[in-house]
Amino acid sequence: MQDLETLVKGAAKAHGHLCPGQVVGVRMAMLGCRLIGLDNPSSHEQIKKIIVYVEMDRCATDAISHVTGVKLGRRSLKFIDNGIMAATFVNLETKKAFRIVSTESARDLAAALAPGIQDPRQQQLDAYKIMDETDLFDITEVRVNVPASDFPGPTRFKAVCDNCGQVVRDKREVLKNNQILCRPCATGSYFEPVKGDPHGQK
Amino acid sequence: MGKNNILKTIPVDQAVGMTIAHDMTEIIPGKSKGPAFKKGHQVSARDICHLMRMGKNNLYVLDLDDTQVHEDDAVFELAAALAGPGVEFSAQPHEGKLELRAAYPGLFKVDAEALTDFNMIQDVMAAAIHTNTPVSKNQSLAATRAIPLVIDRSELDRAVALAKTRYPVFSVKMFNPLKIRLAIVGNEVYDGLIQDRFQAIVEEKAAALGAEILEVAFLPDNQEKITQQINDYLQKDTDIIITTGGMSVDPDDVTKEGIQAAGFDRVHYSSAVLPGAMFLLGYKGKTAIMGLPACGLYHRTTIFDLIFPRLMAGETPGARDLASLGHGGLCLNCKVCRYPQCPFGKAV
Repeated sequence: MQDLETLVKGAAKAHGHLCPGQVVGVRMAMLGCRLIGLDNPSSHEQIKKIIVYVEMDRCATDAISHVTGVKLGRRSLKFIDNGIMAATFVNLETKKAFRIVSTESARDLAAALAPGIQDPRQQQLDAYKIMDETDLFDITEVRVNVPASDFPGPTRFKAVCDNCGQVVRDKREVLKNNQILCRPCATGSYFEPVKGDPHGQK
Repeated sequence: MGKNNILKTIPVDQAVGMTIAHDMTEIIPGKSKGPAFKKGHQVSARDICHLMRMGKNNLYVLDLDDTQVHEDDAVFELAAALAGPGVEFSAQPHEGKLELRAAYPGLFKVDAEALTDFNMIQDVMAAAIHTNTPVSKNQSLAATRAIPLVIDRSELDRAVALAKTRYPVFSVKMFNPLKIRLAIVGNEVYDGLIQDRFQAIVEEKAAALGAEILEVAFLPDNQEKITQQINDYLQKDTDIIITTGGMSVDPDDVTKEGIQAAGFDRVHYSSAVLPGAMFLLGYKGKTAIMGLPACGLYHRTTIFDLIFPRLMAGETPGARDLASLGHGGLCLNCKVCRYPQCPFGKAV
């Protein structure tokens, strides 16, 4: 694995800007990979061994993706919308998994570690690079039961919605009132059709 | 199939392309202990040095042809065929077995006849908890496996075809967000002689299924007022009306008559369940009504716990369902209630 500075630079380039979240994400990913025994997760040999569950869609997520090579489209990056600065790194081969949570107390410690810097953002950015892992993160070994329908690889499961005819992949269909339905038909969706769309008629 | 036909001892340098027959543990003193090679791993050229470092000169390998399938591959096909909507499973078998779990909360359904037919096929099995059990997300529902280490492709195909033809053998019906209204009947509560306890009980049981009670009315044992209240609920776009009390044979008990006077299409009074014999279940259009006898105040689990989840899942159980519950319909009143992990109400 590359060193911290190189990874932070690369993450900032991939994300679009350099920020404390990038440093937290890079360090989280480096630590996570080390804990689950993967030293080069983007390599051909290891890319299929890792899944990362991120619990926020913020800067750190992109940094984690940059360091580990996990991607939503590869099904190796899973987004759990908890709004928590946390990620869980899973080695699919050994089943080892660690959940790493960014501590809120790290913000207060930043001032002590970078006393000469006035700008709080720059202060955090510099301090997070050198802060002890145990101050920066809460680390818990966990067990993650990854369902077969969440695994990377070709689509193995397909169903057809009885209501709208949409093909539903990866066992995301539900059974409601004896109908196999896509989730928008079963429970509504995030959008409102302007007119005439079957997903609007719940 | 005889084990000796498929298990072969091969010198390690001739094992490339072969399938390892069992997990091979590697111990690195002071560092680690774990399987360096898992059962079913296909040996590649670069594995040879690693195996030799582990002190292996010979390996047990599986010598499989196209008509044979390793149990770990077979069980994946079995699980995929058995798991209907709302049922998921791990991609990694444990000791040749895959556990099927609930993908979301709901009512677990088993096509019991299909399951029996599946289990009649040689060399495969599946076992499940009972049908009609309310389940939570990730709850264990069933498990399946191929019996031998290696199964004939034809038997596996037969089992998979059966499960697909009878799809879904296992499924979870999602609970609907139903509009529920409650009428608590009884002079003793209405007159303030005793405090009602039914509301809290019903609300707790509804909450367990992700539902809430929209409205509660307190009524005396007066048929006209009961009918009036039920008609009011019917006009308010109600999916389930629940009444409590007044279901017995005392002269004051008129809840049943009050419900019948509201003009339900179907009304079934009495169930083959104890506690809960004097239960009423009726339907008018899309609205279901349940009349709960007073036993619900004393017994933690009653007929209500068997029928309510089915209504929540969009089912409309009828007279035959209430009758068939007799087999397994006797609650044993255990000191610590473990329902639904008990035989109560598990008639198929």
